[in-house]
Amino acid sequence: MSADARGWRVALLPEALINPRDPACQALPDVLAVLESAGYGLLQLPPPGAHRLLLAVIADQVAEYAHHGYAVVALGLRGEAGEGLHWRPLSALLRRRGVALPPRHLIRAQGDAAAEAGRLADFLTGYDLPAEERRRWRTSPQEER
Amino acid sequence: MTGRDDPVPPDAAAATGARAPAAARKVALVANCLLNQNAKVCEGANYRGVVSPVVAALRSRGYVLQQLPCPELAFAGARRWWAVYEQYDTPAYRDHCRRLAQAVAPLIEGYLRAGDEVILIGLDGSPSTGVRFTSSAPDWGGRPNRPEDDWQILPRPGIWIEELQAELARRGLPPLPATGWALDMGRFDEAGSRRDLEEFLDRRARAGAGPDNGAASP
Repeated sequence: MSADARGWRVALLPEALINPRDPACQALPDVLAVLESAGYGLLQLPPPGAHRLLLAVIADQVAEYAHHGYAVVALGLRGEAGEGLHWRPLSALLRRRGVALPPRHLIRAQGDAAAEAGRLADFLTGYDLPAEERRRWRTSPQEER
Repeated sequence: MTGRDDPVPPDAAAATGARAPAAARKVALVANCLLNQNAKVCEGANYRGVVSPVVAALRSRGYVLQQLPCPELAFAGARRWWAVYEQYDTPAYRDHCRRLAQAVAPLIEGYLRAGDEVILIGLDGSPSTGVRFTSSAPDWGGRPNRPEDDWQILPRPGIWIEELQAELARRGLPPLPATGWALDMGRFDEAGSRRDLEEFLDRRARAGAGPDNGAASP
């Protein structure tokens, strides 16, 4: 257990992008495949509805990442309430934890899936923390000693 | 943890406005780090982010994914060291796991009462998310000293899985059929883990996802 393969990047993702409700009616890219190619992990947001406790738990995790050198983004689904991200309550929870709101990228459900996948890949690969922040955090504790 | 899979009473499903049986889904609750290796302890990530063999095995069999929270990340932080079952077996950590279980249990209850098939894929060997196996070293403490430190694998679930199943039981829900991706068992064998997971899923499919085909026995 010496090498560590983590990508240091995390995407907040709506339920509807992880488990498309009706793939036949939607032209969605395979978001998980794009995330994997770009080296991102994901945090899944709950489906529509009231999930106060679960959103707080997710906000705790986002805060931990944001405060320790991880790049966090949010991928929304255009046309969904709160873009599928529970954006209003989640934003409030993140602000209370001193976390800057992550950059958002919205995916269109009725567009060209290949083009959407390309836009998404460009967004994901183009985003990271500034070099100084990366240097500060992204060394293993053993290397620091 | 057993493979018992008592059906949730249909009248309860009707009372919650459950979907028709034809719309029942196959739902896989997956350990947080199986979709996000950034949740792993320092030096513990085997993938950059998504553990794609797990996703592929589940999706190809028609499962939708429901990610569970990571109890260790929110408790001990992103820069925590590795630990064993005994180090996390504290009242405060169990309280924390119960809070997380209470946060996610309404979703799981909704799936079960809607007639969905729900399974759990944990992380075998983990002190928290182990399903069939967890790591143990009663005398561990102080500064970690790997690889000299030694630990054992015990045939029991981790603390988070224990507390999650207990919360479901408190709600009158059956134990979830479960298995673990063997990432924290020492030397990681991806091909063996994949075979193991696929056998678990295919065994359930052959048995019609019935009551006793998901035992989490080691």
